[in-house]
Amino acid sequence: MSDQMCQPLSLLYRWIQENNELVDKCKQQGGGDALSPDQNKTHLRWCSSEFHKLLKKIQGIPPLADYLQLELTVVYNACLCSTAQSQFSEAELLLTQATERVLQMTGDAPVASDPPVFWRTVLKSVGDTALNPCVLYLLCLQWAIWLSTCQLKTIQECQDELFSVFETLSTGVWDEGRSELRGKSSDIPLLVMDPRRLFELLQICTIIAQGAESLSEGRSSEALSGLQTASSLPAPRTLIAYTHLLSGSCLAHMSRPQMALQCYRKALETDSRCVCALYQSMLIYRQLGNTQAEIQALCLLHSTLMLPFATEPALAGTRLLSPSLLLRSQSLSSLLSVPSALSVLHNLALKCVHHERVSDGVEYYLDLLAVLHSEDQHGVHAEGPPLPSLPELYLQAGAALLMARRPADCMALCDEVITTTLELLPEKVVLEEPEEKCEAETRPLCAEGDDRVAMLLWAGAAYLLQGHCHTHLKDWKQAVTHYTRCFNLLVKVRFKKGSFQPQIPSTDMIGKQGTDLCILQRLKGLSLAGRGISFTQTDQLREALRDLQLSMQAFPECTSAGLWCGEVLWRLGRRWEAAACWEKTWSFTPQFSVESLSVYLQEPQSGPLLDSSELRRRIQELGPPLSA
Amino acid sequence: MEKFNRLSLCGKIIIFNFKRASATNDCDRSELIFSSLAFEQEDNTFLKAADGAAIISRKRSAHVDIVKCKCAINVQKRVTTACILVTKKSEKGESFQYSLLTLSSSNRLEPCIEFKLPYQMRETVYILHGPTVLWSHTGNVFYASLQAGEVRQIPIQVSHSVIGELPLHKEHVFVLGLHNLSDQCTPSTSQTLGYFVESGQVFDGTMILPHPYICITRCILVLSAEKVDDVLKSAVIAATSNQQLVYFENGIVKDVCQLPFEQPENIQVVNTGRNGCLFVISFHEGHVCAVWKETFQIASHWSSVSSVHVDDFLGCGTDQMLLFFKDQGITGQPLDTFLLTDLCGISYSHGQDSAAPKTPPPSPENDLLTLRALESRLQSGLTVLQELQREVRVKDRVLQQSVRALTDVVSESETILTQHEQEGLIALWDCDDESRDEALDDKTQDMPAVSSKPQIDKLWHRITEERLVVGVILTTDSSVPVASVSLSILTETGQSSTPAVIQTQSQVFWLPAPCSSSSSSSSSAYMFSEPAAKRSKQHNAGRPNDLNTCRLAVTAVTRLTPLLNSGCVKCHVMLHYVQRQDAFALVSNPTPVVLHCGQFALDVHSDFQTRLLKNPDLKTDEVKEDLLSLMAVLDRWVFHIDSPEHSLGDIDSWIQKRVGCKRIEVSPQYLLLNSSGPSALMLLHWHQITPFQGELSVHSSQLQALQFLDSLLAYLPASCSIQPVKGTKGQGATQIFSLALEKEMVSLIECVSSLLCEEEEEEEERKSLGHEETPEPGSVKGLQRCREVFQWDVERSRMRLSPLVDVGRYRRLTQSMSKAQLDGDLAALLGTRRTFLC
Repeated sequence: MSDQMCQPLSLLYRWIQENNELVDKCKQQGGGDALSPDQNKTHLRWCSSEFHKLLKKIQGIPPLADYLQLELTVVYNACLCSTAQSQFSEAELLLTQATERVLQMTGDAPVASDPPVFWRTVLKSVGDTALNPCVLYLLCLQWAIWLSTCQLKTIQECQDELFSVFETLSTGVWDEGRSELRGKSSDIPLLVMDPRRLFELLQICTIIAQGAESLSEGRSSEALSGLQTASSLPAPRTLIAYTHLLSGSCLAHMSRPQMALQCYRKALETDSRCVCALYQSMLIYRQLGNTQAEIQALCLLHSTLMLPFATEPALAGTRLLSPSLLLRSQSLSSLLSVPSALSVLHNLALKCVHHERVSDGVEYYLDLLAVLHSEDQHGVHAEGPPLPSLPELYLQAGAALLMARRPADCMALCDEVITTTLELLPEKVVLEEPEEKCEAETRPLCAEGDDRVAMLLWAGAAYLLQGHCHTHLKDWKQAVTHYTRCFNLLVKVRFKKGSFQPQIPSTDMIGKQGTDLCILQRLKGLSLAGRGISFTQTDQLREALRDLQLSMQAFPECTSAGLWCGEVLWRLGRRWEAAACWEKTWSFTPQFSVESLSVYLQEPQSGPLLDSSELRRRIQELGPPLSA
Repeated sequence: MEKFNRLSLCGKIIIFNFKRASATNDCDRSELIFSSLAFEQEDNTFLKAADGAAIISRKRSAHVDIVKCKCAINVQKRVTTACILVTKKSEKGESFQYSLLTLSSSNRLEPCIEFKLPYQMRETVYILHGPTVLWSHTGNVFYASLQAGEVRQIPIQVSHSVIGELPLHKEHVFVLGLHNLSDQCTPSTSQTLGYFVESGQVFDGTMILPHPYICITRCILVLSAEKVDDVLKSAVIAATSNQQLVYFENGIVKDVCQLPFEQPENIQVVNTGRNGCLFVISFHEGHVCAVWKETFQIASHWSSVSSVHVDDFLGCGTDQMLLFFKDQGITGQPLDTFLLTDLCGISYSHGQDSAAPKTPPPSPENDLLTLRALESRLQSGLTVLQELQREVRVKDRVLQQSVRALTDVVSESETILTQHEQEGLIALWDCDDESRDEALDDKTQDMPAVSSKPQIDKLWHRITEERLVVGVILTTDSSVPVASVSLSILTETGQSSTPAVIQTQSQVFWLPAPCSSSSSSSSSAYMFSEPAAKRSKQHNAGRPNDLNTCRLAVTAVTRLTPLLNSGCVKCHVMLHYVQRQDAFALVSNPTPVVLHCGQFALDVHSDFQTRLLKNPDLKTDEVKEDLLSLMAVLDRWVFHIDSPEHSLGDIDSWIQKRVGCKRIEVSPQYLLLNSSGPSALMLLHWHQITPFQGELSVHSSQLQALQFLDSLLAYLPASCSIQPVKGTKGQGATQIFSLALEKEMVSLIECVSSLLCEEEEEEEERKSLGHEETPEPGSVKGLQRCREVFQWDVERSRMRLSPLVDVGRYRRLTQSMSKAQLDGDLAALLGTRRTFLC
């Protein structure tokens, strides 16, 4: 008879066995890391479907107290597998079914769908029975689902219940219960993931997600305290790095850049793959104006981005639920985003060129162009500002080459730009000044016109650079030719403001910086100045004077035009005028910072130069003006 | 619901009906008529093959009804016959006459069993092998059969009975039920019993259906059964009230299929031949569902079906199912709308909207699986492609860089390498000023080489469990190497005056400098704490940071009993150490020194039951000595815990949460674990190095340490490793080694700098002799001079980079250096030997 009494248990026992075998298989796969990610995925899918099958069997019988612990364990396993596959609705359905069956068993009526109330009732109805931990584990999974679906508010509402999970886990009820039963371990249904690990993971992920949320809402100090405590929690390396990173961002928001830098550094020290920490610190250096450090950081960032990243190693214990699955909030991902390697490279090149590291800058530009040419769009997927268009890059690289005294290379690049744009150049183009207030809206509308203007400006700039190159080579005739070509292109642009007729733009219409009009005027000024200077070298002083004066009209801040204009006047014997011209030129303060303009729009440093001290000496020798 | 009394037999459909001839005829009699129909393939209809009638009652008022009709094996004739159970209610309604009629091969209805019941059968009635009529009433199961000839009750009291047929040799009809021990349906209060109707044998029902399923099983079909060595082996299909079709083998759930409808009523098997078997489950309210046996998945389902029959209607050798649909049409003919199919090619239908054969929809799960498999293959292909591309990219980069280097070489331009590239380093944004500060600190530190003998601060002794611990706290300077310090005990018994040295085990502990002992102040007043990197530089208490003076505790442990041989004993405590001659030489000139520290007396009469660390909350010297004694007595292990992927979390608080754990106030880094009795004291010290690394020192007995580690392992992340730190017993050795290395470095710096400084001075002198006046560059001669000065400057700066020094002094330098190195080597050797010994 006793044998028969054991029989009902055998079904339970068999199901436990089945569950445990599945758990073993599920875990075994994690042991061999040689598998590729999608093999893992297939395996996970298989495990999930097996757990679901088993659950279907178990849920085929009415909820009995003896079976319920096993059932909840299998629900935990199945639900975890589903969650790991991002099948949240399926997982949530499982949870509801399971809790309904628990309520059915305890004889309590089903309750409202408000999550905190619901779980509170379920926990209350379970009481302090052996089922309590099981239900708490399910609550953990519910938490995971909430976290994955960014329902941070709900998590906040359920904080008390979630804390009770922690208490259960930390008082070691689970551990002790286990060690008690360790003798007949085959009778305990196993779990695919240690709930304590799950709890730890959820805890830190929640703090990170909440921190990111508060940060994006401007509550930095609030976020900071949470993040600082989180950094000492047990968690995977990557997540610890995230806490440091976010702390750094908070501190940066609270205008404590040095402390932020320390945090970023800690993030990197913790996890060397935390590239965003590097990127953020680069931004801080930029903000602080520490150019050397910024360049260094950019350089590092680029080389780090070029590293073939090893795929995320399977973390033992947390392998099923990856942190990335739990951290899906928009605010966090925007904090973690890093621009593409190419964009970083371009930034780096530009920085170097602007800050007296021309030769490095040239190398970076050439690297950039080489990568673009090999059509290897490495890291295109990364977010961030898009790269400037190719002609723009060519021109920047050309300007850098010229700065590095490689005129031949510069000319080759400019040729490239000219040949690509030449056939597309419009005969005549009208530049419309957008209304100031609705600038942003009108931009996309006149995109086509913009394209043509941009094309023309590129070609013009290319000619200008070539002119500079010839000036550099002291080939004055060629220089004049190229400057003229540039100018001839530029006069094709008519300017239209409001409802007025299109006209040739004049000085008083200089628009805001960065607009096409400004670029146009600058190009004009520079090309005329270049031609004027070339004329002075071939002693065509009158032509020179005309060009230089025109240049100063188009672009009054052009220093070389001013100085050379004075020089020509001096040579023509108009010494007082010359002195006035020089004085006026020196009195100009540059309106725009150097970095805000494209490199190729800056005044060349390579042409014939006038020594200012010499000029001042001349003025002194001239004595005070006679008239007066 | 309308009742359809149809059954299939030998490929024919037999319809039973009552005909009440009251209106037309004088004699009111109830006539049971039947007609047998066969399927005509050509006409796609059922044609009448035979019919007949039997008079059931001649009384007018008799209320006659068909209860059920079904085919069953007639045991006597050994043939399957159509059986029909009819009931006649008596006039007063107090008794019910039941009779089971069988249809003979000559198409005659013959009465088979007749019985009278005082009640009407309400629940399901079974007509089974025999023929046997089985029904349950008020919790009891009754049956009537040809053999029994009367109504009998099943002798066991069961609830939730499940009735079925087994294809066994002797026993066919069985009843399964829960033998109640109380009201509830749980394994503890009831057991599953089976009962064979033919033999009256009771058997264990779990061999057919597991216990929890008894309550929920609505219908059952036994596929196969055999008795091997008196053990029943069976394969069973059961439809449950939880909308599941469950497949059992020997009472084990093998497969489950979710059913689309509720309230299953009957399961039939369709053998479609080569294409496998189908289970046809008919449900309440005319739903029907077909499930493949092999895949255990739903093949097809229909609704508003009036009856389902399984037989070889076409006469082709395999089974088909025949579904009659409830009449929706105008014709009113009962058998007008039907579907005859085996879901594997055979399909005849009539009267249905879609005449086309209803092919089973392919299981969506299969599609899903195929799709997933394809998807995963696609993904793996994609990743391989991406890996290849990545490799190509890396190769390209290498090529580019090589080509650039090559062109640089060819064009004789210097390859531009950034500073960190040259160093093969990746520079973070570390600013240099910190290290510069430290270098300055080092320089300002000078080392007075004044050696003095150690100063004894305190002498104490403790007795614990037959062991005597003697301890000395002393202040010493760097001239006393820690490794050389030991204690010995000289006994002086009352009678003989010659003192005897007894065997002791000596240990040395570093003590924190007295001033910095209270450095554990917390600064939590800030709104937020600063990054730890900023704070950590402030102090490092507990380390012998001051090289000149350090406090040591030296202990000696010995067995107590030999000392107490002669009642009272006086013990002299001697300190042994090695005095070094100068600060740089470590063991070069060892001069062993013995220092008398003091004495104490032991008496056999005194109370030896002292317990160490009674109150760890106190902060007295006694407690400190207790702690030191405890550390001397207990074995010590140091474990390095390293978790590369997962941070360790707050291990300290985990230890503190353990039962009986207290922090020792005298030295708060130690935790006392006093869980079970005085013999199981345990001292723990957790030192977190980084969030991912830590060091745990355990002072306890071996078994306890193991137990503690075991529980710790369960708490730690799975990927973490615990390594015992080598040479824990001689913890001084590593310190000596590090000190030696430090000295080696310091002496190198000092020697070289002094060498260069002197060189510089000489140079200064030479310079002061030479050209001082700045030449005027105006003249040619002046220019010449200028050039000379310039060249000399260049020369000098070059010299500074690779200066020339005096041979003698250089020799002295190398000599002192090699001496220092020798000391370092020796210390290293000492350290390794100690670790081997441990």
